[in-house]
Amino acid sequence: MRRFQMPPQILRLVLLTLAIVGSYMVARAFLTPATFGQYGWYRGAALEELAARTPVYAGKKACDECHSDILHKLAGDAHKTLSCEACHGVSRTHAENPDVLPVKLTGSHCIRCHEANPSRPAWFKQIVVKDHYSGKCTECHIPHQPTQSP
Amino acid sequence: MNTRFNRRGALARLGGILAGVLALPIARTARAAVQRVFVSSGAARGYDPSKHKWLMCIDVNKCIGCGLCVEACKKENGVPEGPYFRTWIERYIIPKPKPGSGQTRGETLVDCPNGGMHGFPEPPLPRDQIEHSFFVPKLCNLCEHSPCVQVCPVGATFDAPDGAVLIDPNYCIGCGFCIQACPYGCRFLSPVTKTAEKCTLCYHRITRGLKPACAEICPTQARIFGDLLNPVPDDPIQKFYEQNRVQVLKPHLGTAPRVLYAGLDKEVR
Amino acid sequence: MTSEVTNIVVEVLPRFEGYVYPNEATAHPLWGFLIVLYPYITGLVAGAFIMASLVRVFKVKALEPVYRLSLLTALAFLLCATLPLLFHLGHPERCYEIMMTPHLTSPMAIFGFVYAWYLMAVLLLELWFDYRQDLVEWSKTTAGFKGIIYRIFTVGVTDVSPPALALDVKMGRILSVVGIPSAFLLHGYVGFIFGSIKANPWWGNAIMPIIFILSAIVSGIALCVFNYMVLTWIRRHTVEMRCLDTMAMFLFYALLVDAAVEGLDWIHRIYAAEEGFSVMQTMIREKLFYTLNLGQATIGTLVPFLLLGSLQVLRRRVPEIARRRMIFASAAMILIGVLAMRWNVVIGGQLFSKSLRGVMGYKMEFAGVEGWFMGILLLGLPFVILTVLVKLFLSERLPTSGHTPHGSSTT
Repeated sequence: MRRFQMPPQILRLVLLTLAIVGSYMVARAFLTPATFGQYGWYRGAALEELAARTPVYAGKKACDECHSDILHKLAGDAHKTLSCEACHGVSRTHAENPDVLPVKLTGSHCIRCHEANPSRPAWFKQIVVKDHYSGKCTECHIPHQPTQSP
Repeated sequence: MNTRFNRRGALARLGGILAGVLALPIARTARAAVQRVFVSSGAARGYDPSKHKWLMCIDVNKCIGCGLCVEACKKENGVPEGPYFRTWIERYIIPKPKPGSGQTRGETLVDCPNGGMHGFPEPPLPRDQIEHSFFVPKLCNLCEHSPCVQVCPVGATFDAPDGAVLIDPNYCIGCGFCIQACPYGCRFLSPVTKTAEKCTLCYHRITRGLKPACAEICPTQARIFGDLLNPVPDDPIQKFYEQNRVQVLKPHLGTAPRVLYAGLDKEVR
Repeated sequence: MTSEVTNIVVEVLPRFEGYVYPNEATAHPLWGFLIVLYPYITGLVAGAFIMASLVRVFKVKALEPVYRLSLLTALAFLLCATLPLLFHLGHPERCYEIMMTPHLTSPMAIFGFVYAWYLMAVLLLELWFDYRQDLVEWSKTTAGFKGIIYRIFTVGVTDVSPPALALDVKMGRILSVVGIPSAFLLHGYVGFIFGSIKANPWWGNAIMPIIFILSAIVSGIALCVFNYMVLTWIRRHTVEMRCLDTMAMFLFYALLVDAAVEGLDWIHRIYAAEEGFSVMQTMIREKLFYTLNLGQATIGTLVPFLLLGSLQVLRRRVPEIARRRMIFASAAMILIGVLAMRWNVVIGGQLFSKSLRGVMGYKMEFAGVEGWFMGILLLGLPFVILTVLVKLFLSERLPTSGHTPHGSSTT
């Protein structure tokens, strides 16, 4: 029985293939991130990294700590769906340090929502500003309790 | 073949065994060193994503097109200036049909000036020529069968266990495949990070018990946010899907979007 | 009416009409000329390889003179294929991720493996088995740097005994057979990348990978015709007409099948007139008018079809010199036409909004990574590499072994 002799070309190619596949496996072991596959086909650490970003807006609940009386008035009237920062701007620094004041509210801010526009739903209170009044909105309306007059 | 015992052969064999024993710890140390340089590591702590299922729903009947949400999102997430939006508002103006045309409506006009960020200008038609007009807030539709996740070649974008669809900015190669695959146009390539970016449901806020910035700021609560696995008393999102007949965008594509819309019209794409 | 309602208030960008999603309102489409070039280049590779396999697998003896040139052409273009992709990535330094953590649901993820398989296991191996005997001979007789290169390429195997040579022939044939589906995979997956995007009605259908493969075969054969005629002209030889006529015949029939299948796509779109049809019609009429009607249809398909078709009918009745000119002109026009087709597919898909309500325009710049200059460089580079390969492996000064089945080279 003749001993099987591997042809030299094939032997070389098999060795080369093993070397290439072997270096690929080694590279893969080194270069795959540690948390990859933890929850699925992605880096598990990404969840923590994305969650680690510092929030910019403080949120309505943060205002409740010091301003619960205003929030109580707000909850009883038409603006109850508003968050404080919708009108007062980003207030995170103020929530952390009350000496830093939030953005001041001006009359023109009201127009942003309440200017009449045919695309706005009919149930929403809208006014045509030039026909309504030319002065400041706060002369007749209390922002926190808009159905009541000052 | 030389089968006699010889010193050289024995030493060689001993060296081989030693190398084999030491190879694994050496390899592990080298791997750790390489990984410190190339890739970040670290497990998630504290927040357990499997215990939450986040959802946002939109009530089109309540949106007043003020654009405060678009502005809030840009501020909260540092979205670059220019045509890059994680959320935006579209205005639909459906004119009345031409008299005698036998149509039910005229040709729909859609616009979105700067994403709706500064509100909307006067419509181009007078009020008496408009049949319907409304605002539609758009965002990532949180698909169950996300086509964007399906096509990512490296695993940089993914469905998180808590329902958010997220992008790993440290892994994304910026190929743009996910941006092409999203039917809703909610992804973009950031000119700053050169990676794909999209609405993350303000992941950094919701994991701390806050609402996403857009839902927080919305003055009419047109955006309703909630945790389907941890409903609060009088949960607004539960009320929304129990009391409204809802629609989703582009249902025919089979992406199974989870974001529910109440008050859509057939013109909305 | 629609022009008064602007999409973007901050910058009024004239290239938009109607309504586009705000994220689509960027200055340029996301996938630009680099992504047009990538399928063009891999298509040429696949097509040139199919040309070569006509000799090995289908035993078309008339094409023997262009066998080695086709393989070298495929190699030269394959070596450049990754460049457009690398330059396009937002983070090219992370490109290794696609091979370390390939996401198996993504057609793009197989790129690294298919490319590596095709380059190493198919193309280089087939070239090696075909050239092995010559490489051994050349490595012994050539001095200097070139000699070192030949020695490296022998991979240390110097056995040229009859059984070894017989094995070379057998392996070459096996590789040619394996190579055909590999070539289809190399280029077909690119078609599937586009075909898989259901969000885009211009791209997302089952016929896209088939159209890509068929137009790749056409472009590859055309490139081999082009290279063969140019090389012969440079060397001041005469073209072997039997070879050229056979190439022209295959080119014609490949073009016929490709045009038929693309025509089927057209007919279906027009007949079914699905939701996005009207915006796509607007897009074609306003944004793709020249590249589609002039570039792809007329220059790329109709004129070569008539020229090559007439040669199939009239055959030897047309004098040789006229035949050569018609075939060369057809090959050059097809190469332009297939590039136009890639443009129409890649750029066309991004020139209308997913809202199906608006269209965008695209003016390429000269400078920049996605500009004309880079495009010309990337198209020229494979020819530079091919020149080097021809000098090394198709040199007139080096003797080729007489008893190998493939006979003489293109010289």
